[in-house]
Amino acid sequence: MSGQNNKRAQGLAIFFLILPLFLFLISLSIGSYGISPRGLLKTVLSVVSPASHPDVPAAYRDILLRIRLPRVLLAMAVGAALSVSGASLQALFKNPLVNEYILGISSGAAFGAALSLVFLGRAFPPQVGGFVFAVVAVGAVLLISGKAESHFISLLLTGIIVTAFFSALLSLVEFFASPYVLQALFFWLMGSLSLASWKDLYISLPLIAVGLVMLYFLRWRLNVLSMSDEEARSLGVNVLREKMLVIAATTLITAAATAIVGIIGWLGFIVPHLVRMMFGADNRRVVPLSAAMGASIMMIADDIIRGLSSFEIPIGIFTSLIGIPIFLVLLKKTRKVWL
Amino acid sequence: MSIRVTNLAFAFPKFSLRVDELAFESAKVTAIVGPNGAGKTTFLKCIGAVLPTAKGSLFIDGRDLAALKSRERARLVCYVPQEHDTTFNYSVSDFVLMGRAAYISPFGLPSKEDARAAAEALDFVGLTGYADRAISEISSGERRLVLIARALAQQSDILLMDEPTTFLDPKHETEVFELVRKLAVEKMKTILVTLHSLEMAVQHSDQMVFMKRGEVVAHGNSAEVFQESLLESVYDMKMKIIDWEGRKIVLR
Repeated sequence: MSGQNNKRAQGLAIFFLILPLFLFLISLSIGSYGISPRGLLKTVLSVVSPASHPDVPAAYRDILLRIRLPRVLLAMAVGAALSVSGASLQALFKNPLVNEYILGISSGAAFGAALSLVFLGRAFPPQVGGFVFAVVAVGAVLLISGKAESHFISLLLTGIIVTAFFSALLSLVEFFASPYVLQALFFWLMGSLSLASWKDLYISLPLIAVGLVMLYFLRWRLNVLSMSDEEARSLGVNVLREKMLVIAATTLITAAATAIVGIIGWLGFIVPHLVRMMFGADNRRVVPLSAAMGASIMMIADDIIRGLSSFEIPIGIFTSLIGIPIFLVLLKKTRKVWL
Repeated sequence: MSIRVTNLAFAFPKFSLRVDELAFESAKVTAIVGPNGAGKTTFLKCIGAVLPTAKGSLFIDGRDLAALKSRERARLVCYVPQEHDTTFNYSVSDFVLMGRAAYISPFGLPSKEDARAAAEALDFVGLTGYADRAISEISSGERRLVLIARALAQQSDILLMDEPTTFLDPKHETEVFELVRKLAVEKMKTILVTLHSLEMAVQHSDQMVFMKRGEVVAHGNSAEVFQESLLESVYDMKMKIIDWEGRKIVLR
């Protein structure tokens, strides 16, 4: 890469890293009830010091604090979580096709969270059930496929079978759910941010933050773990222990995200590819940029849903419909090898 | 650093390796030869702890290899695979930098010192200027050199090279062997190389180990141990050694 290209890539990387901050502010003002940037600033100030801005309508504060802020924060966190999870798993399993869905993590988490919602109600945090069954699912995939890290087909087939099994269990849960719960469950499973509440965020955000911080610090190690196991071992890596660390972190963030927004399958697969196309394969860049780009894409998608349509399309459907064609166009246009 | 092997055993379902006693001297090049399936690579992987071995079977300067932690072991011994099958297209410098993993905590990043060690390793193998090239864009001969550079960045005193010249043309093959010699002489590395080319093995090594069916059948000083009768019994075929301008050519 020449010096000029290097500088351009660095500039682009900085742009993508700060983009979520701008989108965060824009997203707070977009919605069926528009709040101008000036109104947004006034509302924030009135929250900090109610006496300083008595003219701010109470509805602004309610919309901002109780509806938009948790929703936008959730979009950011989930986008970052799924993208970093995908990037890490692809490196770990040395395969660009791997994602949390293929490993059964998503379906396990979805089943666990649904089980919790139907039988324990919304008072009990669905993240617990989500995490427990995500661990069961990924554990089953890894155990059944054996030395799957070097046999992708075996891993893929086991993942498909375990995912199918948990999907069947999920259908069983749906069968026992009351019509009211079933409707909510159905909407949630398609991937939706509309149920975002502070209560969910209090649990999921710290879990996602812990997992993201772990993977951020492990990002260079992911380069070494993306070598064959024999090479990694020879380079001085305790392969089993470090793999388990990465799988634990990715399972944690995927379960925490899936438990509140349902399954958003394509994001963790496509975002890391987009990042590698633009910035190369080094995970020191791929991990933070995947987080930033994933967060940005989720916020943009949610802004479009909230700003353009009068009814709520589940974001999981929306992002798949928009994201996959974009990816295919990029794939065709980008002739260089980026994997 | 010297290596001592004592009662080393490793078994796959249809193959087992057994080496009773063997020692490799410091700063020497040893060629391990033998027919396909003789156990050369398995032996090398056992010494490199890429395959697990029992405690008390491998010692490096008196230290039991199986009792060492991954990072300690990697600072002593490095296994260089035959070929790297890359999934992700890292730059050459990022690739060589991975050789520093044994010096960096799992949660850490390479330091400037690590980057300098990687750059020096790249210089040593003659690939200065390749740092920003993508690993998929260089030739297979250059990729072998990059693998050796990564091993050099690891700064272990023992290098185990698994068929480092397979599929290389004669020019690149000679270049790799000259580099191997340079590593033993200038960097005092103890080097074990598995090979199929008997001429290259005898020409470029100080010692030779002959293997067959998972066992060592002969070992010793290369010039002395390289005899027609031994070659014929190891490879089960008629062979003739010819001296040509001080070099040994094997006819078969």
